[in-house]
Amino acid sequence: MSKKAQKRFGQLLREKRMEKGFSLRKFARLVGVSPTYLSQVEQMNVDPPTADRVKRMAELLGESVDAWTSLAGRITEDLPGIIHQEPTEVPDLLRAVRGLTADQLRELRQSAEDMKKKGK
Amino acid sequence: MARRFTKPKPEVSYLAPDDFENEAALILSEYGNAHGQVNEPPIPIDDIVEEYFKLVVEYKDLRAKYPEGDVLAAIFFNDKRIEVDASLVPEDFPAMRGRYRFTLAHELSHWRLHRHLYLRQANQPALLPAGGAKPDHVLRSRLTDRKEFQANHLAGCILMPREMVKRLWHAAHGSMDPIYLDDLRRKQQAILTAEVLRRGGIKSGDDAIDNMLLEYVARPMAETFEVSPDAMRIRLEGMNLLLRKKEPTLFA
Repeated sequence: MSKKAQKRFGQLLREKRMEKGFSLRKFARLVGVSPTYLSQVEQMNVDPPTADRVKRMAELLGESVDAWTSLAGRITEDLPGIIHQEPTEVPDLLRAVRGLTADQLRELRQSAEDMKKKGK
Repeated sequence: MARRFTKPKPEVSYLAPDDFENEAALILSEYGNAHGQVNEPPIPIDDIVEEYFKLVVEYKDLRAKYPEGDVLAAIFFNDKRIEVDASLVPEDFPAMRGRYRFTLAHELSHWRLHRHLYLRQANQPALLPAGGAKPDHVLRSRLTDRKEFQANHLAGCILMPREMVKRLWHAAHGSMDPIYLDDLRRKQQAILTAEVLRRGGIKSGDDAIDNMLLEYVARPMAETFEVSPDAMRIRLEGMNLLLRKKEPTLFA
């Protein structure tokens, strides 16, 4: 885990938590972690939490789970399963789309959605 | 010789007992207007500090950070930040709940009463490099200057609001009559045995026995207000509901 990712995640977490009006102890209780650990995450003294806890945090704060998971340097829990279903094709696809712009990726995603609809 | 003019240092104002009660009532009312009135104990001190006053709370190993003193908390006024020693966090150390809550209320009281003494003006360059780790004020386990006295007094009024204490005292004892230490002495042995068993020991000091007797009475309310029996006893003594001596009257 890079120090930079730790810093961005900790800072953003504190900012959003306070913006939403959660005290440290209340938020820790809702996420299911100890307040001391949560405080350490915010102070950027430890790595961001696991993917399932990041997901819970993002949900409580009304933030994008994917964006927060990525910021925390984790991968969402459904991704390993998706890769294992198609262990050759999915990694190939990921390598192929590497380097495309965000707009191009959105376009590709839309095409994938359209293909799925046609297939049904 | 030319006269030297020096800017007087801001001083800590004198506050009368009613000033503390009024300030506490004002804080609770301000919080209540924004987040819903607090009508029953315990007072939600975390929410008041963090949600209403927007002070950042951090848990740290302050005993390691400040090895020269027994530091429980520190406040950084310009950062709007309070550091609390991790040994007080109630989820990890349930017996410290009262102490933790009082510490937060104490630091909030500094923010409310004393921040004007420390806040840098926006257009005034800092005397020290920005980001220095030196806190503006620290709470040690034993500090007795005027600012500490005021912060302790206001903290007590915030966590144990006068009217709530009166209401609960009346509900518990059926009247607003005080309880005297002399009356407790009649069952001193039984009370002390119970207290020693509960605490696992006895404090030292001149008033240790008397305090234990009074804290025996204060304990149920301390649990309701989520403060230490010690803090509850001091509040009840301040409100003349627990008294150490019976004053002589005209007829007795």
